Amino acid sequence: MNFYYDHFIIPFIIGVAILFSIVLYKYVRWITRLPKRDKLLIRKNIFTRKTLSAIQEVILESLLHRKIFRVNPLLGYMHMSLAFGWFLLIIVGSFEAAVHLKGEFLPPHAHVFYKFFAPKIIHTESGTTWEFIMDFLLLFVLIGVALAWGKRAYSRAMGIKKSTKHTRADRIALSALWLIFPARLLAESFTSGVRGGSSFLTGSIGNFMVDLLGWNTMVAIAPYTWWLYSTVLAIFFIFMPFSRYMHIFTEIPLIFLRKYGLKSSDNKQKSFDHFQIEACSRCGICIDPCQLQSAAGIDNVQSTYFLRDRRYNKLTESVTNNCLMCGRCQVKCPVGIDLNTLRLNSRHSFVSTSKADADNRYSYLNGVDLSTGSGRVGYFAGCMTSLSPKILNAMDKIFAAAKEDIWYADKNGGICCGRPLKLSGEIEAAQKMIDLNTALFEKHKITTLVTSCPICLKVFKEDYRLNGVEILHHSEYISRLIKEGRIEVSKSDLSYTYHDPCELGRGSGVYEQPRDVISAIGNLVEMEHNRESALCCGSSLANLEIRDDQQLKIASQLGEEFKQCNADSMITSCPLCKKSISRVANGKVEDICEIVANSLK
Amino acid sequence: MNKEVIIIGGGVAGMQCAISLAEMGVKPTIIEKSDKLGGKLNDWYKLFPTFTSASEVLNPLKDMINELGVDVKLSSEVTKLEPKSVTLADGTTMSADAIVICSGFEVFDARLKEEYGYKIYDNVITSVDLERMFCEGSVQNLDKNSPSRIAILHCVGSRDEKVCQTHCSRVCCVAGVKQAIELKELYPKSEIFNFYMDIRMFGCGYEELYKEAQIKHNIHFVRGRISEAAQTIDSKIQIKSEDTLIGRPLKMTVDLLVLMVGMSAGKSNNSFATTDGINLNTSGFISPKNIFTECVSSDVDSIFYAGTVTAPKNIGESITEGVAAAHKVAKFIKL
Repeated sequence: MNFYYDHFIIPFIIGVAILFSIVLYKYVRWITRLPKRDKLLIRKNIFTRKTLSAIQEVILESLLHRKIFRVNPLLGYMHMSLAFGWFLLIIVGSFEAAVHLKGEFLPPHAHVFYKFFAPKIIHTESGTTWEFIMDFLLLFVLIGVALAWGKRAYSRAMGIKKSTKHTRADRIALSALWLIFPARLLAESFTSGVRGGSSFLTGSIGNFMVDLLGWNTMVAIAPYTWWLYSTVLAIFFIFMPFSRYMHIFTEIPLIFLRKYGLKSSDNKQKSFDHFQIEACSRCGICIDPCQLQSAAGIDNVQSTYFLRDRRYNKLTESVTNNCLMCGRCQVKCPVGIDLNTLRLNSRHSFVSTSKADADNRYSYLNGVDLSTGSGRVGYFAGCMTSLSPKILNAMDKIFAAAKEDIWYADKNGGICCGRPLKLSGEIEAAQKMIDLNTALFEKHKITTLVTSCPICLKVFKEDYRLNGVEILHHSEYISRLIKEGRIEVSKSDLSYTYHDPCELGRGSGVYEQPRDVISAIGNLVEMEHNRESALCCGSSLANLEIRDDQQLKIASQLGEEFKQCNADSMITSCPLCKKSISRVANGKVEDICEIVANSLK
Repeated sequence: MNKEVIIIGGGVAGMQCAISLAEMGVKPTIIEKSDKLGGKLNDWYKLFPTFTSASEVLNPLKDMINELGVDVKLSSEVTKLEPKSVTLADGTTMSADAIVICSGFEVFDARLKEEYGYKIYDNVITSVDLERMFCEGSVQNLDKNSPSRIAILHCVGSRDEKVCQTHCSRVCCVAGVKQAIELKELYPKSEIFNFYMDIRMFGCGYEELYKEAQIKHNIHFVRGRISEAAQTIDSKIQIKSEDTLIGRPLKMTVDLLVLMVGMSAGKSNNSFATTDGINLNTSGFISPKNIFTECVSSDVDSIFYAGTVTAPKNIGESITEGVAAAHKVAKFIKL
């Protein structure tokens, strides 16, 4: 019986043992702590097609890194060659070892140090083919490592302007990772040089080294190269569970759990959150889209840092609250982490308001009904709209033109939709608003609810339980009125550009209706960033930290794009965005309903 | 040979600077972008705190300009500023031994505070509109014989980060008091409410005027900003505010809402600031070399300032700076 033992494998064995014990401990702990409902979801879905589709996603994302390819092909290649290349080295290496190392028991490390333990089979023909494939794979990974070195020196070449600042554990693991494959190359080359054979890479380098150093020196050094390889592997494995590299394994269970329907929740930190948090590789793709970074120079709050701080229990309230929640990073996250939800439940964890507190605090709102009108279509202007009389007037004009009978929820003052409270983590207080408004909507038996504010829209859609009530933003409503021929608009030669408000676009997925409406009235010119990648106006209610001058810098980025696209007017569909952009724009900024009202036939 | 000095802007500061220089034997040229001298003072009715007619200040200045034969280029705008020359919109370049920038301020655009409904509701006007109406002799929709209620809102476009105006415009407090008294005199049956954050009566005679408004004219002062305005069916304006002294929300319907618009930095300041040595402060006014000892000098030896181009000022201060700048110029060109 051959155990394929040599002293140098000890570090490797220790590393692997530590790695798998910690990873296993974490996963078992997280899974057992899942709430009953989540466990039920897993049990219900595990033997369905969802598992297959999860496997597919694991291959596409965890191994091939398809989403990163979309960010930048070089960056994609770097991640793919490291992940997929290493994966293939393990798989092909195992087969190679299984084929050539005869014996009833093959310890797992045998294939890792295959060249050391089985240097003699190289002379067979099939052996040469295996050698070639393994050398090729090693080269594939080494190119990835070289790119990673290059990225350190010049990240812009890979489409990343600013890369992540690392923790100490990250640095150690990273250094070890960068050494693993060069060390493997060195070890395999030395052994090949000493014993002859091997393929184009390790074989050639081995022969070259023999010529250079002489055979005797090679024999003397060779064992130490294996020690080096084993040691860097061990260092990487030991630090992996404590560093960003925990994502290598964690992304896989995350994909499965997500397919089974597990979600993070706004108001409660759940065990599932761990899978999301530790699946973050801190690749830093979230940093560049963040306008707090690009406009205001704030560089410690981005999602990668937020998740890092939360993971290591170092999260501060100020980092948690310093986020526009515009969602620009979330659409780019290659792991698909639900960043905004995690941010929300962290905010909630800093808030101590109980349901009783909220009931007590807002008791003066019980039974308040300042609404007017009797229609089945309800109009909820929202507080920011109430401060924008042009929008109110325009909506009135449109309602009159469409002969719509309207019930005005808040014309004489109303109750907040709850979204601002929710965004600040005051979920219980928000729920109070939600309950009060829901009762009001039910009392007046509306069938459609139109709002002019995307912030209200999002909370109506996501948190209100309004059975049978259709919820529309006014851009959707107006688009429908035009399509159904209930209002007619005339088209002019004016050019308009459209700003997608965060809560309407990325937040609620409404991109096309406002564009349809604008195209019916004039010519639409897109700004450089539009739809999913649209810029934030900077005045987002979600950011509880930044100062006005910082908001202004963010808005200025939008003002600059407006200038570049040379449109007569900038259209938006959020009263808050309108206010925010108005102060930096060189031209006119209008709400979509204003131009509709002005072009009614 | 006569030394030449270019003065950008023909408001009170520019006019006074030109007069002082001409008196010292320099040849000043005023470049004014509008079609007449006098700047904003042309649109003012009476001046605080003495209710002196604006023309009483303006006409002597204009007469002196004529008398001294100061060269005035009207309807000309400076597009490019260099240490010793300016380029005008029509392409001509003028050179001089020194330049004094007296380009003044802009009136804050009240439409940016959409919640007050300026240019949306008929009965919301600005303090500038009100001056024009005083000049014309009557205020829109107000009847001398029937009672009316008027709200005057201070700090519109001043001390308001949300519209990028962090500074205090200084003069609107007393201007608001002055206008309240004028309204009361024109419409004795009206009830007038001034909504304010703080009342800052910095000048000689201002505090006395504030007291007089309360005691003699029974004008009300409410500490609290108006949060929003809405139009009622009969075209009146409903305002919402908070009386912060008694800590209660307040709702009121008025016949007229007057917005005391603040002083914004001049639009041309940005283009001036492209010249090395000319820097803007946070609200966009030009920063002088030293606010204590060199308040009419810039970091460029040959460029000087006078008036509200550097900060909000009243008329007296602007005229004084015209004299001061002329003095500094004279020293620079070694008269």
